[in-house]
Amino acid sequence: MNAENSTKGTAGTDGIEAIGLVREFKKGPRAVDGIDLRVEPGEIYGFLGPNGAGKSTTVLMLTTLLPPTAGTARVAGFDIVKEGPRVRSAIGAALQEAALDPLLTGTEHMRLQTSLHGLGKAERERRGGELLERVGLTRAADRKVGGYSGGMKRRLDLALALAHEPRILFLDEPTTGLDIQSRTALWEEVARLAAEDGVTVFLTTQYLEEADVLADRVGIIDHGNIVAEGTPTELKAEIGRPTVEAVPCNPEEREHTAAVLARFGEPADGAAKGAAVLLSGGDAGLAEVVRALDSEGIKIETLQLHAPSLDDVFLAKTGRSLEGAEEAVEETEDERAEVGAAEPA
Amino acid sequence: MSADFRNIARAVAWRSVHNFLTNKALLIPALIFPLFFFASFAGGLSAVSNVPGFDFPTGYTAFQYVFVLMQSAAFGGVFTGFGIARDFESGFGRRYLLAATDRRGIIAGYGIAALLRAFVTWAVLTAVALVAGMQIDGSPIDLVGMYTLAILVNITATLWAAGVALRVRSIQGGPLMQLPIFLILFVAPVYVPLSLLSGWIHAVASVNPVTALLEAGRGFISGEPTVIGLAFALGIILPILFALWSRGGLRRAEAAG
Repeated sequence: MNAENSTKGTAGTDGIEAIGLVREFKKGPRAVDGIDLRVEPGEIYGFLGPNGAGKSTTVLMLTTLLPPTAGTARVAGFDIVKEGPRVRSAIGAALQEAALDPLLTGTEHMRLQTSLHGLGKAERERRGGELLERVGLTRAADRKVGGYSGGMKRRLDLALALAHEPRILFLDEPTTGLDIQSRTALWEEVARLAAEDGVTVFLTTQYLEEADVLADRVGIIDHGNIVAEGTPTELKAEIGRPTVEAVPCNPEEREHTAAVLARFGEPADGAAKGAAVLLSGGDAGLAEVVRALDSEGIKIETLQLHAPSLDDVFLAKTGRSLEGAEEAVEETEDERAEVGAAEPA
Repeated sequence: MSADFRNIARAVAWRSVHNFLTNKALLIPALIFPLFFFASFAGGLSAVSNVPGFDFPTGYTAFQYVFVLMQSAAFGGVFTGFGIARDFESGFGRRYLLAATDRRGIIAGYGIAALLRAFVTWAVLTAVALVAGMQIDGSPIDLVGMYTLAILVNITATLWAAGVALRVRSIQGGPLMQLPIFLILFVAPVYVPLSLLSGWIHAVASVNPVTALLEAGRGFISGEPTVIGLAFALGIILPILFALWSRGGLRRAEAAG
């Protein structure tokens, strides 16, 4: 992607801006290989990629937990290397593995987190209670976290990340391993944070649906490079139009079906029992296709609309499917041995 | 000292102390360990005080009390190092690194917790020693001197163990924290005064800094202070050196993410 275009200007005091960010590890390739990105204030930015693509390493650098080997980034208007403490006071983060103490209760975690941020006693109690209620943990607040389910731990981790009312929130694969109900609840809360509280959200995920549902804009990362960036709609539109596939009840009508479909776009491959076309008018043409087939008296067994997905975008940009691209080896502690990294602030 | 530093230190200390006092698996060994040593040494080996040349009128119980006090101070610091390593291994350390605007407060917090834990242990140890008939000939000021030395030993050991824990960031670093402390404690005049040691152990104990700390402590409890200057010089220089060591460890942990 073009660094000049993507990093023009500043992302303001509540945004994120990275230029040529690199992180190199001793025993592996560059985990992050010179990425440029820009997240506007109040935006939900989805950072999508398979395991080992460099998502978490990017988050670690942007949250000042890992110094970059090269490049610069500003978070909330502060340089991540030179102004680490100011970055940290402006951000909240829920990292990939919820770091919770099994011996503490939910309330005690809130007390700890709010104390770390220097909130006074009254404010600590008010904020802790409010956040536990918001994430639906009031009833479990006095139970030790060791007995929480995965979803409860994630929700508590989110509440902890919000303890000091951060302007920017980093969520590293927040729904990995959660059931659909917990995932949906977390999506709703993240969307509410951005919409109502104006929090900028940087969300990494390997779930296409999550990026599609939540993110205002998506950056797709692969092998440490951003290979595509834009709104989900833009990215999907970039790689092509939707395909409609019709299978007639009577196999002898296959050619007739194909002829009718041909009125609506160019023929497409992949329809062994029927016919398929790339809809020149987009999704809106589907109703007309149905009407045309009906008026020709063709009885249809199945009619399917294939809209391009973010996986198609990933496939188009990398030649691989996102769902099959997961690399067996995640970044390990060994790989994190630093090579010529700058000293953190 | 900034408000940020104080907030971080207080929060980190609160959690460590809370877990220590509410978790029997942490509390009981921390109390049993020094009591076991005290009972073994002061009780089982009390006849040692009858050997010719053993000159400690305050009694063998007080003689061993000082050693167990210093030993528990040192091992309290090592156990705190285990906690730091566990926190960084489990990822909890990242929570601290993320929240702390002044990350030196993290080490200070663990240090405060180590000291508070040591106070609990010392209270129990002292109570048991007094019940066992320990004699104290030193004045209250002498006792302040003895406990100040124990505090400095605790701080030194905590800073040493923190430096290792932050570099290794795994509980597997435990032996590395423990072994040097164990060795340095036991190549000192543990059972008898330095003058009764002979051979290589005498040579090593003569240059072992723990010897000065033990002799000063025993001097305080018997009301005949000795080698105070050297003991306090060590008690000030060693924490400074190990503060630099632990700060280096913190930088390594920061760089490793």
